[in-house]
Amino acid sequence: MKKKQTSKDQLPLFIPRSNTSTQINKTGSWRYFRPLYEEKTAPCSAACPAGEDIPRIEMLVSQGLFKKAWETILDENPLPSICGRVCFHPCEKACNRGELDEPIAIHSLERFIGESAISSSKSADLKKLPNNGKKAAIAGAGPAGLATAYFLSRLGYQCDVFEAQSEPGGILRWGIPAYRLPEDTLKKEIKRIEDLGVHIHCETPVTEALLQKINQKYNALFIGCGYGRPIKLRIPGEESAHDGLRFLHQIRTGGKVALQGTAAVVGGGNTAVDVARTLKRLGVKPIIVYRRRRQDMPAFEPEIERARKEGIELMELLTPIRIEEDPGSTSKSDSSFKMTLQKMKVSTKEIRGRARVIPYGEKTKTLQVQHIFIAIGAEAEVLWHLPSAKNNNQLTLSHSTIIEQEIPVVFGGDLTNETKRVTDAIASGKQAAIALDVYFKKGWDSIEESLVNCRVGGGPALSMAAYLNEERNNRKPHIVSFDEINSDYFQSAPRVISPTLSPDQSVRSFSEIEATLSKRAATQEAERCFNCGICNSCDYCRIFCPDVAVMVEEAERYINLDYCKGCGICVTECPRNAMALEEEKK
Amino acid sequence: MKKVLEGSHAVSEAVRLARVQVISAYPITPQTHIVEAISEYCANGTLNARFLCVESEHSAMAAVIGAASSGVRVFTATSSHGLAYMHELLHWTSGARLPIVMADVNRALGPGWNIWLDQTDSLSQRDTGWIQLYCEDGQEVLDTTLQAFRLAESVNLPVMVVLDAFFLSHTYEPVEVPDQEQVDQFLPPLSPRIQLDTANPFAIYQMVAPSAYMEMRYNIQVAMEQVTSRFSEIEDEFEAIFGRKHGPLEAVQCEDAEIILATAGTTASTCRHVIADLRDKGEKVGLLKLKMFRPYPTDQIRRHLGHAQKVAVIDRNFSFGASGIFAQEIKSALCNTDVRPAVFGYVAGLGGRDVTPQTLEEIYRQTKTSKIPKDESVWIELNQELVESWSN
Repeated sequence: MKKKQTSKDQLPLFIPRSNTSTQINKTGSWRYFRPLYEEKTAPCSAACPAGEDIPRIEMLVSQGLFKKAWETILDENPLPSICGRVCFHPCEKACNRGELDEPIAIHSLERFIGESAISSSKSADLKKLPNNGKKAAIAGAGPAGLATAYFLSRLGYQCDVFEAQSEPGGILRWGIPAYRLPEDTLKKEIKRIEDLGVHIHCETPVTEALLQKINQKYNALFIGCGYGRPIKLRIPGEESAHDGLRFLHQIRTGGKVALQGTAAVVGGGNTAVDVARTLKRLGVKPIIVYRRRRQDMPAFEPEIERARKEGIELMELLTPIRIEEDPGSTSKSDSSFKMTLQKMKVSTKEIRGRARVIPYGEKTKTLQVQHIFIAIGAEAEVLWHLPSAKNNNQLTLSHSTIIEQEIPVVFGGDLTNETKRVTDAIASGKQAAIALDVYFKKGWDSIEESLVNCRVGGGPALSMAAYLNEERNNRKPHIVSFDEINSDYFQSAPRVISPTLSPDQSVRSFSEIEATLSKRAATQEAERCFNCGICNSCDYCRIFCPDVAVMVEEAERYINLDYCKGCGICVTECPRNAMALEEEKK
Repeated sequence: MKKVLEGSHAVSEAVRLARVQVISAYPITPQTHIVEAISEYCANGTLNARFLCVESEHSAMAAVIGAASSGVRVFTATSSHGLAYMHELLHWTSGARLPIVMADVNRALGPGWNIWLDQTDSLSQRDTGWIQLYCEDGQEVLDTTLQAFRLAESVNLPVMVVLDAFFLSHTYEPVEVPDQEQVDQFLPPLSPRIQLDTANPFAIYQMVAPSAYMEMRYNIQVAMEQVTSRFSEIEDEFEAIFGRKHGPLEAVQCEDAEIILATAGTTASTCRHVIADLRDKGEKVGLLKLKMFRPYPTDQIRRHLGHAQKVAVIDRNFSFGASGIFAQEIKSALCNTDVRPAVFGYVAGLGGRDVTPQTLEEIYRQTKTSKIPKDESVWIELNQELVESWSN
């Protein structure tokens, strides 16, 4: 007879169950491959002339750690708020996310980080070596000179910057219109460099006499005087034309300029575009006259496009050959000029990847305008021409040239950079600072080798953090490609769009066109970042480990090799290639 | 409080009242409104539970297995292909002795693609170790779902509450929805007998050698054998609180019946009317409503049917190469008795076709006029034109 049971009684329950630990089974002995945490280089970092640690910066933003993100930029670049605005962000072209949907808006995030630090008046905790008793003189307070002073100060040098103009900033102060870079932002960023102990002496041009003094009183000299002398067209009647760069300078000095009518702006670079857009804001109708085609213009594409949207006309394949005063004009105020333009055509030959243009027979065209601006480029003053003789006391680097004289002299910025961008100028300053520091510590012969050791992803960009032997030094130079990203972890999400004035609104004043991202938009955008090659503690390695062999102690991950079977799931699952699998050597 | 509810929502209400803690479901056809309403309850806070929206029914069951192993009350719902896709894990659930409750809406399996009533989906899960309870109306659905949690937790076996597609799942009826307080009295929080605990780690469900596997299976059967009596106790307790009882089987006018119609689900409702009409005409006919299918209530089947002359089983399902599944089970229950009726098997209303009072009267007429069953199954109301069309 079976015992009568009630629903309250427990039935016998016989299931497989064991209290024995499986820890006795050290599955690590099965292993042929060993996983390891191995940080690699993100393509954006390698593409950034300043070598900023972009994947970490975006990770910190996504975690709301804005100050840390800011300090991570400041490790490599003293001017985040400025570069977030004016740098043409080669990082975004390299961004792996672009293969999935759209690149991360790295420049908008950089600007956000810089601005939030400025608006909360934060001071950065940066690694700064103690004063080493050495003094450095820097000629020119443009981005290259400022960067040199910044990095040298952090390496323990006392720096004096000599600037010919009334205020520091160089091209940032005088050459970039306010609608792209407000003066206030510039001043605050420069102030922070001065706070490091850098002395900027304005209205103190570096003359032959001052050079003599520098040779005696300083241990090193950096020359970053830029391209200050405009290139001339060398055509009849050129004296009636204004120089574009000087015009921008005049506007930024606060000079009131009353202009009207139509203006021809000759050139195809950023200065030409900036001059045309500035004229538009002053009520003039600008026409850009360029000898090649739009696609050949050296100005940055987004700026050309913005100019087009603002209603600025572009005349292509035309080069001025003669300027004549129009006899019909009665007074100076309504004077007008007849510009004779030679028609050009594209030749089949190319020079340095750009189409070569040649005159189209005898065909010409005339253009009647009230003003002419020439913006076809600039060159260095004679004093700053690099010594031509190459000998063994001169070392040509990617962003500077160092010469061993009485004191070591470094030429940098536009004087040596092939690409004359603000961030390249910063790269120049960093390279100069590291090269000089190596020179003083280890001697001339060690410079090149030491620079190689702090390269980002094996490219020309250098990392100060790596030079100072910080954690970043452990990063492998391998540049993570999109194929190495586990894209299953990322869903398509649109790139953030910064609030921007419409072309109609923007041409009415010199107000800044683009606004800074909101905290929420910035955080969201930063979350889109793959964080290529770095561990952002996503924990997928630990979650998927079938042997629970991924351990976390004090936020540090490590593999418990007693149990890791070497299956490689952690490495495969790692969304961002921050791990590697290597053969076990038994 | 009486509410007009869809059959599907009668399940949802019961799940809410049962204070289920984890619900997992795959939300695409053949899923029904059951989990739709529950997901809303979870979203708006009416039900304090975690709703896991997974990528398949296989995962839905896997997810509730995981949750149940950690000692919480769980629920899922599915239908036809979804249930078939869960098949592997249905075996796992009973082997793991997890008190999981699931609602299955009886829908046809494709192809041809058809989401209407057909019992083959659940009946083909006969041997998975699940308790199966077939319901007739919205009230029974709600009551049975509440009882299912008590039953599952009492014997540590999974329970499937089964309801007809559309005729029940999508039909609105007045349903008495009990107060939470009363339900709490009937159904206390789960005291789990299986509960993984990180503070006291142990391993479950690992390999079992031939030396113990058979005993483990026998242990499941021992629990199954307790179900009928425990269900009856649970129903008594339910009746004491709510004043309703449905029974594992319901015999209607079977005592003196010569012919008994046996069927499950909403067809039983139609049958009630038909036998009343036939009784009025002097026919000695009864109805055996089949509710509990696993464990099979063999003793009660014998008691209710043994004395009749003939039994007509109406199957809205079919086992190809054999016969209707309820008919097989009844034959099997009766075969070892000395005195037993002849069992006539009828297959009707597959894939949502109506089983009308006229259909049932025809079944009764055929049963009455045949001395013994000519075939194991008679397919009722086949469209001869269609049948001939493929023969020609």
